[in-house]
Amino acid sequence: MPGRNEILSALAKSALDKQPMPVIDIAPNMQDLTGQFETNLAMVAGTLHRDATLELVQEKVNSLIAEGLQVLSLVEGVTGNRTLPATPHELKDIDYAVISGELAVAENGAIWVTEQHQHRVTPFICENLLLVVAEEDLVANMHQAVTKLTLESGSCGAFIAGPSKTADIEQSLVVGAHGACSLGVYLV
Amino acid sequence: MSHSSSATHAQQAEIFCRDESRVDWHSKALWLMREKRDRAAGSIPEWEQLRQLGSEIKLHTLTNLADLLQQFEANCQANGIQVHWARDGKEHNQIVHEILARHQVKKLVKSKSMLTEECHMNPYLEERGIEVIDTDLGERIIQLAGQPPSHIVVPAIHMKKEEVGDLFHEKIGTEAGASDPTYLTRAARQHLREQFLSADAAMTGVNMAVADKGAVVVCTNEGNADMGVNLPAVQLHSMGIDKIVPNLDSAAVLLRMLARNATGQPVTTYSSMYRGPKAGGEMHVIIVDNGRTAMLQDKILAESLKCIRCGGCLNTCPVYRRSGGHSYSYTIPGPIGIAVGGSKDDTNSIPWACTLCASCSGVCPTKVPLDKIIHHHRRLKAEAGQLPYGKANYMPLVGKLMGSQTAFNCSMSMARGALKILPGSLLKPFAGAWGKYRELPVAPKSSFEHWYKNNRSE
Ligand code: SF4
Repeated sequence: MPGRNEILSALAKSALDKQPMPVIDIAPNMQDLTGQFETNLAMVAGTLHRDATLELVQEKVNSLIAEGLQVLSLVEGVTGNRTLPATPHELKDIDYAVISGELAVAENGAIWVTEQHQHRVTPFICENLLLVVAEEDLVANMHQAVTKLTLESGSCGAFIAGPSKTADIEQSLVVGAHGACSLGVYLV
Repeated sequence: MSHSSSATHAQQAEIFCRDESRVDWHSKALWLMREKRDRAAGSIPEWEQLRQLGSEIKLHTLTNLADLLQQFEANCQANGIQVHWARDGKEHNQIVHEILARHQVKKLVKSKSMLTEECHMNPYLEERGIEVIDTDLGERIIQLAGQPPSHIVVPAIHMKKEEVGDLFHEKIGTEAGASDPTYLTRAARQHLREQFLSADAAMTGVNMAVADKGAVVVCTNEGNADMGVNLPAVQLHSMGIDKIVPNLDSAAVLLRMLARNATGQPVTTYSSMYRGPKAGGEMHVIIVDNGRTAMLQDKILAESLKCIRCGGCLNTCPVYRRSGGHSYSYTIPGPIGIAVGGSKDDTNSIPWACTLCASCSGVCPTKVPLDKIIHHHRRLKAEAGQLPYGKANYMPLVGKLMGSQTAFNCSMSMARGALKILPGSLLKPFAGAWGKYRELPVAPKSSFEHWYKNNRSE
């Protein structure tokens, strides 16, 4: 590849002297992680359900189904009324998706969600998203989160902090841009 | 309000400044972002420590770029990602087109990427029969309006909601006269859903490329990047060579600052990491130079590549806020735009769209020394004999004046005299386009020099 070799040899002419990688050593704020998480999740327009159980999530799902809504659950122990379709495009009418999160980050309300089946678009295309996270998987900050998260070769994952949003028109915040329009988090 | 390569920053700014109420409105909207940023930064006790780390991580990366790029490439390939290298924008566009043509792509959905703007990719693909849909709301607005972005984070910041309402009425059939942001955003959601569902391929920019994982990190608030790449089989990600970070620990430091410094949010809504294609799909990463290796050969310009494109320096810049993003000749406006676009500026004027107040350097999360770089660009222009019109005439004179103490003092008192006796209309042309809508300063009765002589040197 001519481009590759030329770019690499041009880099050899860099004027900067080599700099070492700094040591990243930031003390985490371990005080009341659940409280911190709740505050920050609210700031990013998500809602927290503390001390939840899978039964509680199932109850919520049942009431949604009773309202006539389409619910897909990928969480073991919670059953919706939809199953995974053949193509990701068929997920376009899912009203609620229930998905498990691997980690929750107290400092910013983000939840790490891994790829759980072949349709990567699920947490983004659903109208509303419900994430289920174990309270013991709450970490203080992003430094801790990246040492714990799973990101297998050939897969993907995302930190999701609240529902999708935009402020592109005159800086007014509108919740519900292209991804989910609401996010509920169940700490179990 | 399109870019004109021959018009100087001052000439373009003059157009923007004609509507004074719009200038004030624009300036306030940006200042609001600056205030939110201050609150978010202030809420993190280790903020300054993070900035120092951000700067050191980026410097470490830039000084080991060849190794890290090759490590990134090898790890990507091990994850099933195809890696391409492009020396310039033209090569980038050719590579993209070749991939899309191979898959008979008719419609490409794209999430925000300043790099594809820099490469002028949209027109290149459109000329070859590929429809490109920008999916970030702000980008879609300016795409429908046929304008370039005026900000790197909020590309339609220069437009009022009524203007967006009229545009949407004409282009996507919203109600006439409707200008409520929620209504307009919902309409755009519907309109763009159809585009996502019918796209043949998707493309995104890259916020960070993690060398030791062979993964790209893409951050959006709207979820448009993820809606895009996760539906069609083919996904493409374009990145400048400066987007590399060594590992996830480095990414964490930058992710903690990016959104806080951009909009004041604790983190971007979606920070997605792609470490391989979807089942049955293809993932391509295009690594682009386009002038970056040349910048690295100048010690001062090199540091502009530490930038993580948060937009913080634009929001705080007194010149950007009052002249608008379209007044800069380069795709990226504001302080960082001058830093990375100064050498490509054929108007030889953007390095002067700056008061050297250094507010930008003070807010930058990776400590890009923006004021120093901008000042350096002025020197480079002067050395190359490319001073903007007007400045070329008086700069040598300034040099002579500064060299001679008496002549300097004389001319200063002459200027003070002139401010007092000559009418503004006579003097204002000398103040350039800025002066047109600004009052000239009131001349002090006595200069510091005079005062010092009278009071201290008996
Ligand atoms: S130069 Fe600094 S403040 Fe400006 S956009 Fe880049 S990272 Fe942000």
